Amino acid sequence: MDWLELELKRALAPRDPPPGFADRILGRKPGFHARRWMAAAAAVIVIASAGYGYRWRQGLEAKRQVMLAVRIVALKTSHIQAQVKELTR
Amino acid sequence: MKPIRALILAPAFVAALAAQQFQIDLSALAAKASDTVDVSLNGATLRFAAKFLDGDDPEEAGVKKLVAGLEGIYIKGYKFKGRGAWSDADLDRIRTQLKPPDWSRIVGVKSTEDGETNEVYLRTGPKGITGVAIIAAEPSELTVVNIVGPVDLDSLATLTGHFGIPKVRIPHK
Amino acid sequence: MIGLERAEQIECDFPELVRRYQAMVFSLAWHFLHDRAVAEEVAQEVFFSLHRNLGSIRSPAHAAFWLRKVTAQRAIDEDRRRRRRPQVALADVPEPAAKASAADPLLGETLRRLVATLAEVPRMVVILRYQEDLEPSEIAELLEIPVATVKSHLQRSLSLLREKLARRGMGER
Repeated sequence: MDWLELELKRALAPRDPPPGFADRILGRKPGFHARRWMAAAAAVIVIASAGYGYRWRQGLEAKRQVMLAVRIVALKTSHIQAQVKELTR
Repeated sequence: MKPIRALILAPAFVAALAAQQFQIDLSALAAKASDTVDVSLNGATLRFAAKFLDGDDPEEAGVKKLVAGLEGIYIKGYKFKGRGAWSDADLDRIRTQLKPPDWSRIVGVKSTEDGETNEVYLRTGPKGITGVAIIAAEPSELTVVNIVGPVDLDSLATLTGHFGIPKVRIPHK
Repeated sequence: MIGLERAEQIECDFPELVRRYQAMVFSLAWHFLHDRAVAEEVAQEVFFSLHRNLGSIRSPAHAAFWLRKVTAQRAIDEDRRRRRRPQVALADVPEPAAKASAADPLLGETLRRLVATLAEVPRMVVILRYQEDLEPSEIAELLEIPVATVKSHLQRSLSLLREKLARRGMGER
């Protein structure tokens, strides 16, 4: 591997997901803790999770938009703060 | 009949109050833009999204705190390939809506050298802040923000330090 | 009964699969999409999908292959969806905090941003090669494209990255 490939390996090294990621997956999976009764509960879980899944996706999309909006506000606010501080030194 | 009509209209009236606080009419710039941001989040969407924000994650907790109680975040942003796409007339169309007694300008920074204009306005009512407007104009970029509701300025200030944006520090010369 | 037992064994290990591969799945999505919130969503969807399809997973090694393949597909789909909607320009989206490393952080950040500007398939090829250390034949199988195409994407992408770095004065030291 040449220098660029080595730098790419470094730059693209895996990074940890946000804290609590695994807990969110495991804690929110419907039916996971009910596997002993899966045969009897399967139909109910499938129907319930279809609606749950749709709402979940809607929620994640709303969250994504809010995070985007707040990031933009943070960027602009930070830039203006820096300008004001520079002028008032 | 009249009382029933009034009742039906009331919720719509309330909804209108909670919507965007001024018109961001920059549609003429959209055609010239190479990148566009158009975010329109009303109170209901913010409250719904907040349920999915992780209070244990410092960044998401900060966002959750900021959006709590807000009634809307509206952003229009345009990036252009070159300079000169927007003019003061475009900014004036926004500014004429941000005048006293409802609005007051708390920050106004203009740099002729960099071609930048940045302004922050607050809308206040009997109970305090009810809205924030930001106009951030650079030579090849223009962003207008309206945050509706009781904005916590401390929460807004602490946003720097999150999202990978370094806390503002000016090096000593 | 044997099939049931194997499915039960894999299912017992679902939490272990999540913990073992969460960094890999999240990083594939993050390096491809360069948006932390969206990468987390994609990663969550991938694991939910894994849980639904646990019965078809033959072994932990198969799980890794399956996860890489589905993450690649979902990330590419998400990128196509985003390009149909207004987006913030990449240059404006700050990176999540990275762990300190002895390497040049500016070069690393620049490389990640440059990789994010590659076309979809070459971008995923580069990420699978250098994040996951996959051989071209493994990448070809995962993305269902010819090995020659993978090699061509790698060669052209490296050449493009070298050229872009050189223009920024960040060539080989």
